[in-house]
Amino acid sequence: MHYPWWYVPQLTAPMLIAVIAVVHVLVSHYAVGGGLFLAVEVGHAYRTRDREYLAYLRGHAAFFVLLTVVFGAITGVGIWWIIGLSSPLATEVLIRTFVFGWATEWVSFFVELLAAFIFLYYWGRLPEKKHLAIGWIYAVAAWISLVLITGITAFMLNPGRWAIDPAARNFWTALFNPQFVPQTVVRTGGALLLSSLYVYLHASIFARDGRIRNVIASRSARPALLGAILITAGGLAWYAFLPDSAKATLASSAVMNVFAGVLIASTLVVFAMLYLGPYRNPGWLSPGFAGLLFLFGIAAFGAGEFVREAIRKPFVIYNVVLSNQVLPEQVPQLRAGGYLNDGVWTRAFVAEHYSDVMADGRIDNKRLLDLPYKDRLVLGKVLFLHHCNDCHAAKRGYSAVGLLLQGRPREQTRETIERLDDNYSMPPWCGTSEEAELLTDYLMTINQPRPAGIHPLMKSGGESVDEYGEME
Amino acid sequence: MDPAMLVERAAAGTPAPIWFVQLFKVLGFTLHAVPMNLWYAGLPVALWLHLRGGEHGRRFGGRLLRQMPVIVAVGVNLGIVPLLFMQLAYYKVFYPATILMAWSWLAIIALLIPAYYGVYAYAWGCKNDEKEMPFWRVAAGWCAAVFFLAIGFLFVNGFSLMDHVDRWPELWRDHSMAGAALGTALNLGDATLWPRWLLMLGLALQTTAAWLLFDAEWLTGNSVGEDYRRWAWGFAKKLYTVGLLWFAAAGSWYVFGSWSAELRDSMFSWPLMGWPLVALTVLPALSPGLPWLLILFGGRTRAIAALVALGQFGVLGVNAVSRQVVQNLNLKPYWDVYSQPVDVQWGPLAMFLVVLVIGLGVVGWMIAQIRKCDFAPPSNVP
Repeated sequence: MHYPWWYVPQLTAPMLIAVIAVVHVLVSHYAVGGGLFLAVEVGHAYRTRDREYLAYLRGHAAFFVLLTVVFGAITGVGIWWIIGLSSPLATEVLIRTFVFGWATEWVSFFVELLAAFIFLYYWGRLPEKKHLAIGWIYAVAAWISLVLITGITAFMLNPGRWAIDPAARNFWTALFNPQFVPQTVVRTGGALLLSSLYVYLHASIFARDGRIRNVIASRSARPALLGAILITAGGLAWYAFLPDSAKATLASSAVMNVFAGVLIASTLVVFAMLYLGPYRNPGWLSPGFAGLLFLFGIAAFGAGEFVREAIRKPFVIYNVVLSNQVLPEQVPQLRAGGYLNDGVWTRAFVAEHYSDVMADGRIDNKRLLDLPYKDRLVLGKVLFLHHCNDCHAAKRGYSAVGLLLQGRPREQTRETIERLDDNYSMPPWCGTSEEAELLTDYLMTINQPRPAGIHPLMKSGGESVDEYGEME
Repeated sequence: MDPAMLVERAAAGTPAPIWFVQLFKVLGFTLHAVPMNLWYAGLPVALWLHLRGGEHGRRFGGRLLRQMPVIVAVGVNLGIVPLLFMQLAYYKVFYPATILMAWSWLAIIALLIPAYYGVYAYAWGCKNDEKEMPFWRVAAGWCAAVFFLAIGFLFVNGFSLMDHVDRWPELWRDHSMAGAALGTALNLGDATLWPRWLLMLGLALQTTAAWLLFDAEWLTGNSVGEDYRRWAWGFAKKLYTVGLLWFAAAGSWYVFGSWSAELRDSMFSWPLMGWPLVALTVLPALSPGLPWLLILFGGRTRAIAALVALGQFGVLGVNAVSRQVVQNLNLKPYWDVYSQPVDVQWGPLAMFLVVLVIGLGVVGWMIAQIRKCDFAPPSNVP
């Protein structure tokens, strides 16, 4: 409520977080698992004096740096950018809670970055042991980054004691939240598995020597299968430590059912392809096979990230920050004093445009309903944009309210607003009854008519309806 | 509209002492400024020299361009530190300012990715020291240089808007719908915007000159001859002089043409609340004189090259401190950063410092290993 709201037409601002985050994790997991792959395999190639394999690994390291250090690192910074723009209150809370976690992660990232460049640029110029040691420094630093960032994202899903016991509000209870270990296990497994898929795809295109392809196929199958085991074990623990509301959302929402289905099915296909392909039949590693495997892996990761984000609703940080940038403890105050009143920017808007409703620097809620209809609509739109647009587009677009309310009469819409959290995946209504009237006014202007052609007797009670979908 | 209406005063408190936040913000910015200066002004200079310079100019251009991927990576990484600590202590003004110009702010990321790949595309082209660089690589390199200049401009927009809360009402009024920001604002009407952007360009030219000397004397090893070093000192002298004049012009415009009377009174006061603020106005203005005099009269030695580099780091540091004080003074009517309650997370703070020391130790060890090799990246890898 302290920050301005950024209106992104059709998509909604927070969906931009999802877009950037999903793209980023597909590279960042490779940045972790790929580092481990390079350290282990370069060590193996040095021990066995396999020059051809070393030559391949050098090429792979260049590809790895080019992808992770540029695209991976910059999209990581992009997440910082977009969360501050789209979800400033939650970002403020996270930074205040985890500033030294992030600062520590920055140290890991710095070490990781320099190690990556030295590992690549000084290949063949450093003694083998030193070169390998730098590879391992990269791998360990990257994994520490994963652990710290996972602690923060896990906190968003289930902060545990931190959220309910003010005495327990410290960095350590926040970091070691109930989801910390399960998500660390899942992400470590994901890093191992995804990096193998990148390796297979790269090797299938760039490793011309059949022997090298077979070496890569068989050696990388083991970490990939270990990753599969970790993902399965961590995934079960992840589910076990989900808040009840998240489990309920996962079970009841059709979209979540579909995404969870895609996640499970793609993961199973990846496991099966790994076992039957690289593990049992290394010769199958063609660009087509590796590409398909990679696509299934991306589908599983993408669906997994979407599910992880979406089941937090109605929170950005479970029990700490609601999805509409309100703290749960603010809700009673907002319902009593008004949503427009409590928002710094909404109050300023009303003060500038509708000074008649202001009294002693605050909005007199009773006067809101005396405004002309067109002004009520403007304020209804202000309420919609600040209270609802975090998750819903207006008339068309992502989860558009105009379509969700399609054909719903005014009274029902009004009642839905006041009893918003009857649906547990929605936040409570955070305004006064007068503000609910204003919002209803606006929603009725974007409410789409009931689709034509449905048999009139399908309407509740069998009453006939007119051409606009209203009961007669 | 009173701009103060747009800043919520109630503060939740910070988990670190404010002096600690300011220290890391300023230190982080100074460290970030070194590589940032090199891509800001060094990249176009290197591209020009590589394409149109003589033998030695071409050599330096190629060296800097091959170093540029690492410089960009390190610069982006070091930029995280001031950004993190700024969000910790200045969140009340940082988020609204960036939300008002959200699309442009986000465009920084969209520009940075192709700029970085453009740098790689050109650096790869340097690998064989080809006489004729393919057009697409040249185009990629110049696009990267333009993108970095644009990124700098967008950054200055964001931070000048953050510092000038009085600009918010107008921009919000013009770039909003039903009170929600459209994210399309740019702080173009701010008198400080252009001189700030140009001021940094002057500093960046100086830093590029200092880097040229440091590289020539300390990083080239035996790969270059005396002729190259002589050229490097001569070119650095010219480049630093241009940077100095540019800095003086833009700095004068910034201080005397764009600061408010209140800010100027404060920054020229002696003393204000026990702080000799005039020193933080005069020192940044005079500080580039030291590296410049060293280049002119110090003698052409490795020690002087190191002193020039160190001196330029000091110039950037002094400027960063001064900018921080100016920022605090600009914001004081709306957001007094020192008025926040502080509840220090001692354990996590100690963890960070311990890990930082360990991390620096590891970095030191890695650098010690590569010092035994030729510093320049080999030509057959990106």
